[in-house]
Order: sequence, then C-alpha cells, then structure tokens
Amino acid sequence: MTRVWLRWLPAVLAPVALAAAALAGSYQAGAATSLPHKTAAEVIAMIGRADVHALSGTLQQSSDLGLPQLPSVGPTASQGPASVMELLSGSHTARVYMDGPAKARFQVMDMLAERDVVRNGNDLWLYNSADNSAAHMTMPAEPARSAAPHATPTPGVTTPDVVAQHFLAAVGPTTDVAVGDGTTVAGRTAYQLVIKPRSTGTLVDSVTIAVDSASGLPLGVDVRARGQAAAAFSLAFTDVSLSAPDAALFSFTPPRGAAVEEKATPQLRSLPGKTGQPKATAARPTITGTGWDAVMGLPAGTVPNDVRSAPMLAQLTQPVAGGRALTTSLATVLMLDDGRVFAGMVPLERLQAAAAAK
Amino acid sequence: MPAERGTEATIAVLEGTQSSWSLMASELSVLFRRLRTWAMLLALAAIPILIAAAVKLSSHPVAPGRGPPFLDRITQNGLFVGVTAMIVSVPLFLPLTIGVVAGDTIAGEANLGTLRYLLVAPAGRVRLLLIKYASASVFCLAATLTVAAAGALAGVALFPVGPVTLLSGDTIGVGESVVRSLLIAAYIAVSLLGLSAIGLAISTFTDVPVGAMAATIVLSVVSQVADNLPQLEWLHPWLFSHYWLGFADLLRQPISWTSFGDNALLQAGYILVAGALAYGKFTSKDVLS
Repeated sequence: MTRVWLRWLPAVLAPVALAAAALAGSYQAGAATSLPHKTAAEVIAMIGRADVHALSGTLQQSSDLGLPQLPSVGPTASQGPASVMELLSGSHTARVYMDGPAKARFQVMDMLAERDVVRNGNDLWLYNSADNSAAHMTMPAEPARSAAPHATPTPGVTTPDVVAQHFLAAVGPTTDVAVGDGTTVAGRTAYQLVIKPRSTGTLVDSVTIAVDSASGLPLGVDVRARGQAAAAFSLAFTDVSLSAPDAALFSFTPPRGAAVEEKATPQLRSLPGKTGQPKATAARPTITGTGWDAVMGLPAGTVPNDVRSAPMLAQLTQPVAGGRALTTSLATVLMLDDGRVFAGMVPLERLQAAAAAK
Repeated sequence: MPAERGTEATIAVLEGTQSSWSLMASELSVLFRRLRTWAMLLALAAIPILIAAAVKLSSHPVAPGRGPPFLDRITQNGLFVGVTAMIVSVPLFLPLTIGVVAGDTIAGEANLGTLRYLLVAPAGRVRLLLIKYASASVFCLAATLTVAAAGALAGVALFPVGPVTLLSGDTIGVGESVVRSLLIAAYIAVSLLGLSAIGLAISTFTDVPVGAMAATIVLSVVSQVADNLPQLEWLHPWLFSHYWLGFADLLRQPISWTSFGDNALLQAGYILVAGALAYGKFTSKDVLS
C-alpha cells in the first residue's frame, strides 16, 4: 500500500512547492536593504539634484479609497466622466518613456485598449484606442528650466516623480520628515522618505516616497490615509531603465481613420495646496488654509453641469445639507447646489465650514 | 468509431514495444481523423467568416467602441478580422473545444474499453499520459491557428488590406502584422495549456467522457466569472483564465512581453499541479476496461 501514497506525493508536493516559490518571490520583493545613512534633508536634496535625462519603465498604480468598485469590464466602461472616476478605484498599469525635457510618452494599458500621451517638442498628442480618437495640442514654448524631464512635467504624464514633487511642495513646518528603512523598488535600492503631516485636520496619515539610491529619482509613492491599513494610493515603477528609449516612440502620426481634434493649449493642473499657479480661466479657485488641511473652493460655473449630473457621480456621492459630497479615505469633494465646489484632503466638516464662511 | 479505435489499439498491442514517437503519431492521426475534431475546427473557422460577412453585409458602418474590440477597424483593414475573431472565441468557443478534446483523453479510452490495451507496455501509464497531453496541446495550437488563418483569409477576401493600427496608435506594415497575429495565436495556445492539463486530470478520475468534458468547460466558465468579481480580487492572479485576454499586450508598441511571461508561468504551474494529480490518480488506478 506504500506504493499508492507515493504516487499521490507529487500531487501534494506540487502545490506546496508553488506556494513556497510564490511566497519567496513576494518576500524578496519587499526585503529591506541596508544603505549608507542619509538624513531626510539629504534625501530631499538628492531628489532635487536628480539628473535623469532619459528613462523607460512600467508603472503600477492602485487606489483603495474606500469607494464602491466600479464596473470595469471591457474598454467601453472607461469613457466619458467615468474615465475620471475609474482612476479613483482599482489599479492601472502604464508605461512611461522619457528622453530629455521635451520628449515623453505615457501609455495607460487598459484591457484590450490603450490611452497614449505623446510629447515631442511642443507637439502634444493624445490618443485613445477604444474609440480611435486623437487630439493634438501645441505646448506653450517656455524656457526649459533644466535638462532633466522632471523640471517640466508633460500634462497627463503621471510618474512617481510628479506625484512626489507635489507632496514635497507641502513639506514645511506642518510636516515631520524622516528616512525609513532602505527598500527595493523595480530591482533598484531606494531610500524611503516618510512625510507625516503634524496637523490632525487632514485625512492623510503619511506619504512614503521611495528614492533611488543611485540617481535620486523617486521610484514610488505610497499615500496612507488615517485609520486604513492598506495604502490609499500607490504609484511605483515595476521595472525601470535609465537608458534612452527608441527615438521612434516619440514621433506620432494619427493613424488612418482616426478622428483627430485640434485642442486649445492645455492648462496646467492646479492642485490643492499648490498656490500661486497661473490659471487661464477667469474664475480663480480660492484656497483656504495652508499645507495639508488646505481647502480649494471653485466658484459656481467652473465645473460643467454634465459632469455634475453624471449618473456615475450620483452613485458615488451622498446627499448632504445643501448639496452632494464625495467622501473617500483620502480626499473629500463637496458639490453645493448653488454650483460651488470645495475639495481638499480633509474631512467633510472642514469643507462645510469653508463653504459656510463665504 | 469504436471499431477504428480498436484497430489502433490492437496494432499497439501487436507491436508491443512501440516507440513513443509512433505512439504519438498514431494518437494524432486518431485525433485528426475523427469527424468530431473536424467539426469543431470547422465551427471555429466559421466564427471569423461570420464576423467578416456580417460586417460586409451590414448597411451602416460600425461605430467605434461598439461591439467587440476592433470590429470598427475591419472595414478599413481586413487583417483585423482574425484578431476580432480570436477575442470573440477566447472566452467560450476555444475552451469548449479544448474541454471536449482534453476531457476525452483518458475517459474516452476507458469508456470504449481500449484503455487496457494501451497499457500493456511496462511503465506505459506515464508515457500514455504524456502522449495524451501532447496531442491535446497540438489541438490547442491547431484550434487557435484555425481561427487566425480563417480570419486572415476572410479578411483578405472581403476587405482592403493595408498598414495595421496598433493599440498605441502606431502603424505597422502587413508583414509585421502577420508576425503579430501568429504571436497572438501562440499566446492563446499557451493560455489554453493549463485548461488542457485540468481536462486531462479530470479525465483520469472518470470513465464517462461527457462528464469530464462538461466539468472542464464548467471550470473554465467558473474561472472567468470569478475573474470578474471584484470581491475575489486576491484570487485573480491565480485563476488560469486571468491572462486569457492579455494578448492585447502584443498589439502595443513596443510589445509588452510581461503578460506573455506571466501567462506562461501561470499555465506551467497549472500543468504541474494538474499533471501531478493526473499522475497520482492514473498510476494508482485499477484499469478494468
């Protein structure tokens, strides 16, 4: 009878061996590494000095904002206002290619579809394979501040670098900055810069930026919300190479049969907490408070009505006194019935207080 | 067809020490001489032909973003017929035919009473499992190539052919697009190897081929349903159907090989586990028929 159980042995061992291999792989990926000691100020200075001229890599982004899961079956699910919303839930993979300050390509890889941003000099192309549409814009010719791509971000190209710069701008007296254990991101050793707001008025618990120990390039950003174990937002390279990508990637001609649209010059996005940015629209957003608990207010008429009345938005928001609110674990948006919109990385009560103050 | 199968088996018995290659050849010739195999390949070939004919005969053009992906591109470029047909047939039609072939491997022989003749050779059981699995894998490749080839022929016959637009918006020439179509067919054939192994394993547990076929097909549907439930997100990377539609990564510029590698690794894992199960059951089984 011993022969019979011997024959079943592979059937028992195979899953065990596979599970062990999978566990070993995931353990290795997050293994702590020892790096020469650096202070937080030195790591921040490294990011500032980073002179990465060219890179190609794959990015993985995931959000866990406590929102209900949106249906994401097929490429048709991500069109119209829903495409903004789908960035708030689930995960995405994107590839990024950069060469110098004026050449960039960003590919969001959807299931059986792709959205591209291609920048070559002052030409900016957007392409969406789901409906085979392309849009062309001419970038304002502004003097390049530096040869490194991170000095002049291309709109629509969201790299850990761009997100990290946004959070580093918030570093000030209201913030604790520390250097955590060394880590490995995309096969490269990295310092972990942990930014912790001192204020208790914000929903953000901490922001962790993984900084490449060799080049100073931010390789990953994790944003944690208060009272939530998993990262609310994370964006990191899964593989990256700092050599120049194929030049042909940056020359884009819209394919035959595509609907091509000429668009006005893109406006730089204005993010809460980043004051003093030029905005082309007459209606300027107002910023109440500073640092992490800043609240951005948009006057009536800034947010188009069709966005406000999108059924997807109605599903995600809940009615509150005087309007509707979108509450996530990281940020809150209050849409008042009179057309004003308030947003910030703060609880709903603070937005309502800011709205009432006007 | 029991008579025909019986002759094959009798030949195997008479020759006694048949080499693995000639056993493989006789296995393949049995598989591809079956009416059922040809009926399934013809049904698969009908999918791209139906798609091409429907788009050709339709009076109004397909709007972008409607219907299966790439359907709107077919009128501009016939080479998209094959890609569209492969997308349409991956979730159900291909697993259906694989389920029939893989589920029949051992249980079919047991049901016909020919299994014991095939097992007279010493150490024959492991070899028979390997040969059965190899012939099921050959069918995986034949099935996907049938869809791709019928699609290419139907597309070339009914629509203009020209440079192909990739998902990234770049265009490639006809020659490279043929290479990419073959790569997609290879990707799908690899995708189906795990399901074949599962079908083989189930087939060793029963003497009723229809039961093994149905169980294999049901498993492929269950796996795909589970893959669409966000509540089971932790399970998704472990489902054998998880990367089935990942061949779209071969239509990007530059090609993203990540999903090809991940898919191959996942299918290898399933082959290992299902193969070990099949080995455990089949080598300890009392073959009475």
